Amino acid sequence: MSLDVQLVLLLWGTLVGLDLVSVPQIMIARPLVAGAGAGLILGDLPTGLRLGILFELFQLDVLPVGATRYPEYGPATVAAVSAGHLVNSVGGLALGAIVGLPVALVGGVSLHLLRRLNARAVSRAAARIEGGDPRALVRVHVGGIARDAVRGALVTTVGLALAWLARFVLVSTLSQHGFVALAAAAAGVALAAAFAGTQRLVGRGAGLRWFALGLGGGAILEWLR
Amino acid sequence: MKPRLGLSLLRLFTVQGSWTYERMIGVGVGVAEEPLLRDLPGGPGGAAYRAAVARGARYFNAHPYLAGLAVGAAAKAEYEGVPPEQIERLRSALAGPLGSLGDLLVWAGWLPLTAALAIAAVALGAGWAAIAGFLILYNAGHFALRWWALRVGWANGTRVPVALHQPWLRRAAAFTGPAMALAMGFALPLAAGRLATPLPNSGRAAMAGCAAVALVLLWRRTAQLTGLRLGLAVLAGALVVGWVWR
Repeated sequence: MSLDVQLVLLLWGTLVGLDLVSVPQIMIARPLVAGAGAGLILGDLPTGLRLGILFELFQLDVLPVGATRYPEYGPATVAAVSAGHLVNSVGGLALGAIVGLPVALVGGVSLHLLRRLNARAVSRAAARIEGGDPRALVRVHVGGIARDAVRGALVTTVGLALAWLARFVLVSTLSQHGFVALAAAAAGVALAAAFAGTQRLVGRGAGLRWFALGLGGGAILEWLR
Repeated sequence: MKPRLGLSLLRLFTVQGSWTYERMIGVGVGVAEEPLLRDLPGGPGGAAYRAAVARGARYFNAHPYLAGLAVGAAAKAEYEGVPPEQIERLRSALAGPLGSLGDLLVWAGWLPLTAALAIAAVALGAGWAAIAGFLILYNAGHFALRWWALRVGWANGTRVPVALHQPWLRRAAAFTGPAMALAMGFALPLAAGRLATPLPNSGRAAMAGCAAVALVLLWRRTAQLTGLRLGLAVLAGALVVGWVWR
């Protein structure tokens, strides 16, 4: 993979990282979009979409309300697609999962650290903000966005490095059985996470009946295909 | 005032850019409110303007898409000469409802609904068109909600809590919940099919077994166990199996 492509992936991962919380929250941070974008950059849309679905299912386990801490699946999906492309479908799913999940964890931790850095910046400018100085206010705010961009770039860089390492180490050491085991495990847990996350949202009342109806319809359509 | 509302709306897209545990989105709200305050008596730099800017940047939390409602309402209240304590109370009173309404409408409704439709469309082979469709559909609702919130807040000032009782909000909440549940249910089997496609039969059986066990674990231990943690643990196990099984 050329340096140009890696740099475009890094830029895409940074934008995806920024979109999650800071700006503009148009949902390019969703794994399905992040994965498709990475797939387009790499000229491998099928892998991007397959890994996008995998991490979108994990994402459905997350409800980002208030001050909750949560993993960050956007840059993780970009790194996963980088790891999984040029390998066969099963290998791509396996390598993508083994790279993407740890990067999602790192992304979540980095968000917590970012918030603490923001708090320090606000604290330093508190007197001027309390005095109603708009320049200090905007400076602190723009500083927070810039820090988030750096954070997104760092998480993506770590992810792309891990992707390179995984391809270098695992492709030559794992058997096809190993790739199948990894892909099956990742897909199974992702489905369970999405199911459990959705069930928490729909509860036990009428929503559960709609969910069951949808499951039935989807299962029939999948069976007919 | 329209250009100022536009600038405020643009800034609202960055409202969480300086999120902290102490002020939550307060600084972002202050930044978004600032353009609306420039015509206060004395102009930018005047005492009323500076006091209002400082108030706007204090602790505040709400759903980011609906924060504009508080921004508009607080700014309007400043022009109406409402006492500072009452403006603080207005902000405090709006935080909870705006948070819960936004979570219900967006995070637990519109977002999973449109994401589920996108998953289903991708699984059925729509490819890139499904992604574009998701971005357009989701953001049509997203942009409309942000603009509505700011406009309604600015139009109503301290009377804005009444706006939260508009019938369309109740109808939207009543629609997105069941629609999300139906769409998610529909998407999951299709996603399972898409992920299982490249696997051999033994792999599909392993995937189904793994999903069943993981689901039981996630149901039983929801507080401690997340999908990510379980995924990492299961992948570590699968990696060992993969190394041994040649």
